[in-house]
Amino acid sequence: MTQAATTEHHTPVEHTTTGLNNRKLLMWAFLGSDVMFFGAFIATYLVYRGKSLVGPYPSEVLNIPITTVSTFVLLMSSLAMVLALHYVKEGEKNKGTLWILVVVVLGTIFMGFQFVEFREFAHLGLTPRTNIFGTTFFILTGIHGAHVTIGVIWMAFLAYSSNSGALRSDNALDLEIAGLYWHFVDIVWIVIFTVIYLISANDAPPPGMESVIH
Amino acid sequence: MTTNALTFPRFFPRPQSETGIWGWIGTVDHKRIGTLYGITSFLWFLVAGVEALLIRVQLASAENTFIGPEFYNQLFTMHGTTMVFLVIMPLSAAFFNWLIPLQIGARDVAFPRLNALSYWVFLFGSLIMNAGWITGDAPNGGWFGYAPNSGVTFNPGLGMTYWVVGLNILGVASIAAGLNFIITIINMRAPGMSMFKMPVFTWMTLVTSVLLVLAMPILAVAGIQLQTDRVYGTHFFNSLAGGDPVMWQHIFWLFGHPEVYILILPAMGIVSEVLPTFSRKPLFGYAFVVFAGIVIGFMGWFVWSHHMFTVGLGPAANTAFAMSTMLIAVPTGVKIFNWIGTMWRGNIQLNTAMLFSISFIAMFTIGGLSGVMHASPPTDSQQQDTYFIVAHFHYVLVGGALLGIFSGIYFWWPKFTGWFLNEKLGIANWALMLIGMNLQFGPQHWLGMDGMPRRIYTYAENMGWEGSNLAASIGGFILGFGILLFMINIVYSRMNKKIAPADPWDGRTLEWSTSSPPPVHDFDEIPVVVYRDDFWFKKHPETISEYYHNDHDVEDIAPSATQTAEEHEDDHGGHEGIHLPDKSYYPFILGVGIAIFGIGFLTNTYVIAAGVPIFLWGMLGWSMEPVNDPT
Amino acid sequence: MHRISKLPFSFRTALLLIVPVAAGLLAACTPENNQSTFGTAGPVASDQADLFIFIFWIAAVVFILVEGAIIYAAIRYRRRSNSDKLPYQTHGNDKLEITWTIIPVLILLVIAIPTLTDIWEQQNGAPTDRGEVLNVEAIGHQWWFEFRYPDHEVITANELHIPVNRPVGFKLESEDVIHSFWVPKIAGKVDMVPLNDNYLWMMGDEVGEYYGQCAEFCGIAHAHMRFRVFVHTEEDFNAWISGMHTASDPPTAGSAEASGKSLFAGNCSSCHTVDSTAPGSYAQEISSQQARWNGWVSDIENSGIVSAPNLTHFGTRSTLAAGIKDLNHESLVEWITDPSTIKIGTRMQDHAAVYNTADGKAKLTDAEISDIATYLLSLKPGSGSTDQAMDMSSGKDVDAVELFTTNCSACHSTGDDKIVGPGLAGIGERAGNSVAGLSADEYLEQSLREPDAFIVDGFTPGLMPNWDKLGDDSIDALITYLKTLE
Repeated sequence: MTQAATTEHHTPVEHTTTGLNNRKLLMWAFLGSDVMFFGAFIATYLVYRGKSLVGPYPSEVLNIPITTVSTFVLLMSSLAMVLALHYVKEGEKNKGTLWILVVVVLGTIFMGFQFVEFREFAHLGLTPRTNIFGTTFFILTGIHGAHVTIGVIWMAFLAYSSNSGALRSDNALDLEIAGLYWHFVDIVWIVIFTVIYLISANDAPPPGMESVIH
Repeated sequence: MTTNALTFPRFFPRPQSETGIWGWIGTVDHKRIGTLYGITSFLWFLVAGVEALLIRVQLASAENTFIGPEFYNQLFTMHGTTMVFLVIMPLSAAFFNWLIPLQIGARDVAFPRLNALSYWVFLFGSLIMNAGWITGDAPNGGWFGYAPNSGVTFNPGLGMTYWVVGLNILGVASIAAGLNFIITIINMRAPGMSMFKMPVFTWMTLVTSVLLVLAMPILAVAGIQLQTDRVYGTHFFNSLAGGDPVMWQHIFWLFGHPEVYILILPAMGIVSEVLPTFSRKPLFGYAFVVFAGIVIGFMGWFVWSHHMFTVGLGPAANTAFAMSTMLIAVPTGVKIFNWIGTMWRGNIQLNTAMLFSISFIAMFTIGGLSGVMHASPPTDSQQQDTYFIVAHFHYVLVGGALLGIFSGIYFWWPKFTGWFLNEKLGIANWALMLIGMNLQFGPQHWLGMDGMPRRIYTYAENMGWEGSNLAASIGGFILGFGILLFMINIVYSRMNKKIAPADPWDGRTLEWSTSSPPPVHDFDEIPVVVYRDDFWFKKHPETISEYYHNDHDVEDIAPSATQTAEEHEDDHGGHEGIHLPDKSYYPFILGVGIAIFGIGFLTNTYVIAAGVPIFLWGMLGWSMEPVNDPT
Repeated sequence: MHRISKLPFSFRTALLLIVPVAAGLLAACTPENNQSTFGTAGPVASDQADLFIFIFWIAAVVFILVEGAIIYAAIRYRRRSNSDKLPYQTHGNDKLEITWTIIPVLILLVIAIPTLTDIWEQQNGAPTDRGEVLNVEAIGHQWWFEFRYPDHEVITANELHIPVNRPVGFKLESEDVIHSFWVPKIAGKVDMVPLNDNYLWMMGDEVGEYYGQCAEFCGIAHAHMRFRVFVHTEEDFNAWISGMHTASDPPTAGSAEASGKSLFAGNCSSCHTVDSTAPGSYAQEISSQQARWNGWVSDIENSGIVSAPNLTHFGTRSTLAAGIKDLNHESLVEWITDPSTIKIGTRMQDHAAVYNTADGKAKLTDAEISDIATYLLSLKPGSGSTDQAMDMSSGKDVDAVELFTTNCSACHSTGDDKIVGPGLAGIGERAGNSVAGLSADEYLEQSLREPDAFIVDGFTPGLMPNWDKLGDDSIDALITYLKTLE
């Protein structure tokens, strides 16, 4: 991921057939793989929509306004990511570090929202074991949350590198690759937000099956 | 290891040991990793072979009581799973590892440490998957793991958990390997080697790798869903809570059909190298063969429901998938015709490797034709889940993939080791395998049409199935003797070494241009490529005009190649600084971490926590150790 | 020079080869075998066989041409002497390659046409123009088949009876795992998938007995999940249906059958129904079967009940244990004594209390087992004058102990032990305190007449049948008897 912090070493110039950097190409290919991964989970969620035999049902637990806020937070982190890359490329170490830290903080806030949401749902009686909705909801958003967590740790590591001077304009590629990953995770969230929150938030329980009293 | 004297921090020194166990654990050399893949998967091949023979003994007569149903179910589950995930796939990976850098004129793969990680994760995954044999509850839900029979309600105990955890770990290895070979082939080619000058084996590896990278995540999703169902009580496939068993089938086969091509395309690549070499002619219709491979890889995504013709998807779905399935026979047919075209008017040397390749075409054709029969849903409704299907895919996977791989073993053995395998033993090995497999799988066509279902551990006396079953069992043992002869051949040839030169077969591709076995750095000088089959045409320049005559390729090729050669003069001309990746233990450590996660899912959550420090140690070391290779 | 030479053998020689070889291959198929897909006895299977043979002949031609070309090339162009002579280094031949891309497309088109007609004919519901459709619901259980005739209110298991030359429309269901319903000589298979009801139609056009087998791997006893299909003339079928509505004659007192009957009632009747002949018994059996399933699935480890075949008129069946063995006294005794000698993994042995022994064999003497077998074999349509349920409701000479043994003891002990339902010792005292506002008598009567109105904690609802059919006198007698239990 990152070069050893204190190296004076001049990395041998990489000659590739296409001229594209190997690691950057690797990240693109990995994201292609990850698309299939999320795609299959999202497809499962959609196919299983409305298949729960017992409550709670989506309309009883989902809170669109709050999730809209957390979605906005995650989107803003992508903006911060762009600025961070810009300043690192420009060689403005302090600004670069600062914006990487903003990404870390926003990512952490997003995870905080998710943590609170999960606790709230558990409180309302919805766990992965409760019903089909619980199973598909928690595993899909949980897998996404795991991606965000990995991204936050990665970005924290890069913030440290930037601050210590190991991440510079000449190896800004390290940040660019992490950025590809980060933007991808953001985009996936937009799909998940659409599919779970916007599309199925109104999936109400069948008459007589209401389980949560608001 | 390297002449490059770049040394780095003190905390994460890179290992230097060349020999002994530490040399192997720390290796990042693609050739050594290829050898590790080869040996490991051959051992699993023997395990799965013994499983198959036990099955054949049990089925040799009606109402046999040699094996009970519980053990029988474990045997066929692990036979299938092992042959697919621990034998054919990693044997192909052994060839990818050994050959891809050599065929494209590179010194290693793009990410040598990632490559080592793939191997270790594969090894640990395979051990976890087979751990049930030791604890006494091996997986018993079939290699296809159909829900809900694979869920805890109907299949309590650890058996299928071993299976699903092992599968998830193997998936990590496959995706990592697939990514690595995609980048290697796209980005590491020798100067002048454009995509359409690549050897066909390299092409098929690229297509296979793309399929791996796109299909394995889907299996991972099915695996994670089944794993959380089994371990944490979610309801993805729990029909009692509304989880749909058909959903598992869709996800599994959406992975499973591309998987079929993952298994067969590498063998097709091998055959496409062997046939031209021993016919002393170029591959007939290179472009058609390559495009057929790409089309197969693409169309493989649109046929998965032909595994589900009897599930009740309705006439419209069955019509659509029958059509797409029949269409996929076309590119397959093109390949077969082009292979025959390659042999036509050649100067054919019938040695072991060539005989295996020729048998590959002959046997694969049979598997293809029976495939067309159950591409038609009405006939499939009589064949699905019977021995007819068993016969079909064994013709494809034994007659196809395995014969192809054996052809590759005999073909490249002198390159890998520097000595030849004995030809007389080799031909006996080939004959026994060919006779054995036909005697074993041929009669199974009749068994299927006579109504014998798959996966039954016993059958009644009045069904008329005894004769064919007995023949199949005898065939199984003949096939087994063929494999035994192969092992004898290795020992015998090792003791009576016949040293191989660099280019024993008058080969066509770049791997034959370096010594046998190749030096650690593969090539003293990175070759510059001008032609397709460049090595051949440089040896036989008088034939260039025959191949390129009035071909539109020729104008493009010659000038651009000269250019490329000049362009790259600077990079590769001087080779005083041959740059090789350093060894590393971190792939192994990271692999151990991943394996402990897996064991945690099987035992309890605290074990997962124990894996975290090892995993982090591996990650940290990986990123902090001095870098002179990318990843 | 680089063009492919003329084919080595003419099409005529090829045909000379193809016909005997392919005919030989087909002849090796033995249509007389029990599950052969060739000796068909119905239009669906015979269309499928015809389509197979059509594709087979096309494949045979391709097979001979391709394999012939491979062998010819390998022999004709093999290296003679040690000549390293280089053949012409052709790169290919575009026209030829395009040709052999298009030819397979055309061949597949030829195969596709009958394929499509057959798909839409076979998978799009039963035809309406071939006679009145008989509806059957077939349910796969681990590891036996249940057959319900909703039009006739008949339930049976493992042996399906259908009329000749009439289309039969099947609704295929499963509650546990996936099974597959397959009678090779009459129609190709369709899976029985939980939560996904499937449909299949077939028609037998020849009277006879046919073999069927589960074709989807369904667990430990998958190999032993078979069934039989009897295709009858219309008259015989109607006779069979009316037989299924005629009660068996009650055994004469003191006979082996009588002893077997009471042993069966005490040990087997919580899972096996033997008297689904009276009106209403069809709905009753469906709800009992559902209750058995619920009972099993809610406590798989310890359940004393499990889904089980309906044994009404068992004596008329020809096979045992889902088509595994010919049914006779000897095989039935073997089965009851130790089911796993015939079918390893059977749920009966895992769950029925009578097999709760160290060696898994039945807790019964040889004589008792023989009596049960004799009784079961005697279950056949009787003279038709009496019906068990009506007999009881007549209310004469009610013997409460006999009533309890026959109807209740399979699930309830008179002590404290739980069998399927709670033990009934001291029920008289508890009854008065169980439900506020109900006296002991009222509570017991409610328990008998509306069993689900109150369920004791830890027991499965829906399991206990409604005993209204016993009649008022018998119920009163039972209540009096129950209150005496200490």
